Amino acid sequence: MASSSNSGKAGVIKASDDAGSMDKLAHAVLDDLLYNIMHDLLIKVHRDEKVARAATAAIRVEKLASDASDSSTPDARPDVKVETDAATYDEGKVLLKGNPLVTTKDIVCPRCHLPRLLYPTDGKGARKPDPSVIYCKKHPYIDKPGYDIYGQTWVAQGPGRGKKKKDMEKKLEAQSDSPGKTPTPDGGVPSGGASSRPPNMLPFPSATCSKCKRCILVTRLNNHMGSCIGNSGRNASRAAAQKISNGNGNGNGNGNGNGNADGTPPSSQRGTPAAGSRAGSPKKRDGDEMDEDDDTDNDAPKKKKLKPTAANVTKKLVKQKGSAGTKKEKVKTGSSLIVEHKLDDDAEGSTVEVAPKKKVSKIPSPAKKLKLGVSKPLISSPMSKNNGKTTAAGGGSNAGGDDGESESSGTLSSPPIA
Amino acid sequence: MAAHPATPASPKNVKIKSPSPGTPLFGCGPRTLFTLSSWSLRKQANLVSEHVQLLLSNSQDVTNSSIQYYKMLLRVVFDNTPIVPQTSKSPDGLVTTSLTSNYLCLQCSTIVPEEDRIKHGNKKSHRFCMSRDLSVYQPVPCPADMLADVDSRTGSLFCQFCEDFVWDPTLEELRIRKMGTGSFTNRKRKHEELFSGSVKDTVKDDPRYISNNTTMASCRADGLRGIYNAGATCYQNVVLQSFLHNPLLRNFYLSDGHQSSDCQVSHCLSCAMDDMFQDFYALETTNGYTAANILSGFWISEKKAFENLVTTKEQDAHEFFQFLAEDLHERNGDGKRPETGSEHSCNCIIHQTFYGKLQSQTTCQHCGGVTNAIESFLDLSLGLENLQQKKGKKALKGAPSLTLQECLDDEYIKHDKCEYRCRNCNSSQQARRDHSIRLLPNVLSIQLKRFEFRQGSRDRGSSKISTKVQFPLTLNMLPYTTRGRDSNSRDSQELNRSCTYDLLSVVEHVGEIDTGHYVSYCRVGDQWFSFNDHKVELAKKSDVLNSQAYLLFYIIRSLS
Repeated sequence: MASSSNSGKAGVIKASDDAGSMDKLAHAVLDDLLYNIMHDLLIKVHRDEKVARAATAAIRVEKLASDASDSSTPDARPDVKVETDAATYDEGKVLLKGNPLVTTKDIVCPRCHLPRLLYPTDGKGARKPDPSVIYCKKHPYIDKPGYDIYGQTWVAQGPGRGKKKKDMEKKLEAQSDSPGKTPTPDGGVPSGGASSRPPNMLPFPSATCSKCKRCILVTRLNNHMGSCIGNSGRNASRAAAQKISNGNGNGNGNGNGNGNADGTPPSSQRGTPAAGSRAGSPKKRDGDEMDEDDDTDNDAPKKKKLKPTAANVTKKLVKQKGSAGTKKEKVKTGSSLIVEHKLDDDAEGSTVEVAPKKKVSKIPSPAKKLKLGVSKPLISSPMSKNNGKTTAAGGGSNAGGDDGESESSGTLSSPPIA
Repeated sequence: MAAHPATPASPKNVKIKSPSPGTPLFGCGPRTLFTLSSWSLRKQANLVSEHVQLLLSNSQDVTNSSIQYYKMLLRVVFDNTPIVPQTSKSPDGLVTTSLTSNYLCLQCSTIVPEEDRIKHGNKKSHRFCMSRDLSVYQPVPCPADMLADVDSRTGSLFCQFCEDFVWDPTLEELRIRKMGTGSFTNRKRKHEELFSGSVKDTVKDDPRYISNNTTMASCRADGLRGIYNAGATCYQNVVLQSFLHNPLLRNFYLSDGHQSSDCQVSHCLSCAMDDMFQDFYALETTNGYTAANILSGFWISEKKAFENLVTTKEQDAHEFFQFLAEDLHERNGDGKRPETGSEHSCNCIIHQTFYGKLQSQTTCQHCGGVTNAIESFLDLSLGLENLQQKKGKKALKGAPSLTLQECLDDEYIKHDKCEYRCRNCNSSQQARRDHSIRLLPNVLSIQLKRFEFRQGSRDRGSSKISTKVQFPLTLNMLPYTTRGRDSNSRDSQELNRSCTYDLLSVVEHVGEIDTGHYVSYCRVGDQWFSFNDHKVELAKKSDVLNSQAYLLFYIIRSLS
């Protein structure tokens, strides 16, 4: 059948009239296969749709039936006969009338019995949902660049302290590439940020470390666990260094540089940054310090404004203590031990919401500042205590910065082991 | 751990519906296995299409014989070579075989092409086809309307009266089961066995018992969430995502396979997995997930083999996969550590899901003696470098691209030579070694060795092979199995069906070896999603197939 004509069933791929018979056959086969692919796609969609509509018709008629027989036992099958346009209900049996594709226009969820939203609310193929209808919570997934399937987007991870320089550059590029979805670093004035921020932009959350029960921003969690549970933190390497020097006293043989011999797990050695990364850091620090200046300037008026309100809840007292502590420490030194202590104070009194704030003030850089402005409206609502925290963290912004450092680049200030 | 949602994780003892490949009839997408709607349970039996009702409802006899006949047609469609249903005979005696669908009449043995379907219906309804039916099934009230045909490629039922395909629940269930497993009987399946408790309680078999004792998860909780990157942990996220969307693991954890509330082990990774599954499939949250417990469990666990993995740096996703699999095995299994290179059988969920068995057969070239060695495997690692070089020589221009089948051929079809001490000959002899897969796992994990470990330089090799490897959505593993070596078993539909795998998830490594990033793709139902840390987006099949795959997870089409 196929070989007699120039084409197959779909009639899309045609051989020329003067083509050889093998040519024609090849065209016909390809055309038939194309037809089959379309056929399979259609039959799948058809099946899904028709089954869903049939189910809808059945749910509706069952609902009517159970309403009709004032049911004290909701699960029993009422012995009534009910009829809708799409189906009949007769003593527990549902019969479809006609083609559900014709008789039923929408789809209800078989679980919650609410109508399904049939079009995404945003992005490709979006339609405005009817505001008067309560839809099933399962929505069609959104297909929109820069947003996820739920239409959410995230506060871009700005260049942070722990990041390598090349990462920072990449991020900046990415941001300026798409000025639409994330505010650009240059144009980002705190006041403007709020309006340009999409409504469903989410900040990064915090999580509790299972060992020390501190609240850590999720992006720092791995590094934190490295120092808290594992042995790759700043103190660990310091301890290791101490061990080595102690070891030198006992026996020179294995002490010198051979970390494994005195019990240092190999992981801690790997945690020590290579010479290269260390070389890059002074420059980075310079830049960051400049930023910090900006940042504190920015925070200064806010601080004044908010301080008075921070004194009326007990929780805030902890906070205050914390901030006072940090200030003292700031005056003294940047010793890691004290920083650690400060962090403790801070975290014990804090709730989950604190950490992103902490990050905001902790990692001052153009993009971060922007985010500060961006995230403010989110939290500004009824939580004056949160603002109190902000000030606390802001006041200790230098110390906070140090603490970030201690987790990220580990042994920056410690003597080299080997 | 305190807030352990008691939600969709209860149907331990009750069989709701045999899991079947393809889309479930009623219910929310992929969750039919554990979402319990009393409605859908009853509906299976009662919702009948108007015309099929005519066919089925008149008497038990008619119903049974119609179903029998439908079954027979399904056998014709699925069991033998497709040539039979694809061949039709026109009224003037011309026999044609078509590539496109034919229609098998449900009332007689005629096979017609699509164009003649209506003609056959109209004509035959007045002649012998219907009359023959009438003689057998007397009570059929309205023979002219009783026209139904079965599609020769999919087995779907076409109603001539509606002029549309109909999806009757009873017949659809038969069709799907036949298509998936090749049989109609509801065979006891491995994981069903695993999940059904020893106690068969009649009270608990009542569907109402389930619905009354279940808090339904929100319709929004569909397991699609990102996982935040906790600082260079994308290698963990991709593996976790592929576990989360693995139906076997999901069913295990959601049916209380390992309850974190009952577990005494501190920082148990399996508990962390349990919590994660609950969070993904029971909560409405659409924000990313913070895998803090997994991470701390990972840091705390002391495994010598994976010591180097535990750092704050980027690591190998494959190593993490092995780590996680072994750790979960230890928590859920017999507690023995799996030894590499030996045959290790265990009933734990990880073994049931991922482990298969490899056979290497050594044939002495001197005396012809054969030795078989069998070992368990968690994944198949396929080398790319040699093949790439071989192929690169042939294809002069452009970067060579490989196919997954070529890589598999290289490892499991070709044989190599080795030195071997033969017991018969009592001397060292040349031997031929053949590798084949003796037992296929339910989820086949394949690693493409893209990272080259150079010795001498730093501990992690500096090069990444970025050759494109094409991989299929459906993979037939029969040629690589021990049984598939006999050519006559290769034609068996049954065997081919039992060796058919569908792509489930892909882990891709993008970028260079030291600055790269892992992303993954997972399939939920028929829809693909891309997971990039906390970002979840819709993905097209072409995105998936064009990715530079590093790990591939294939799931068996039918559990036997």
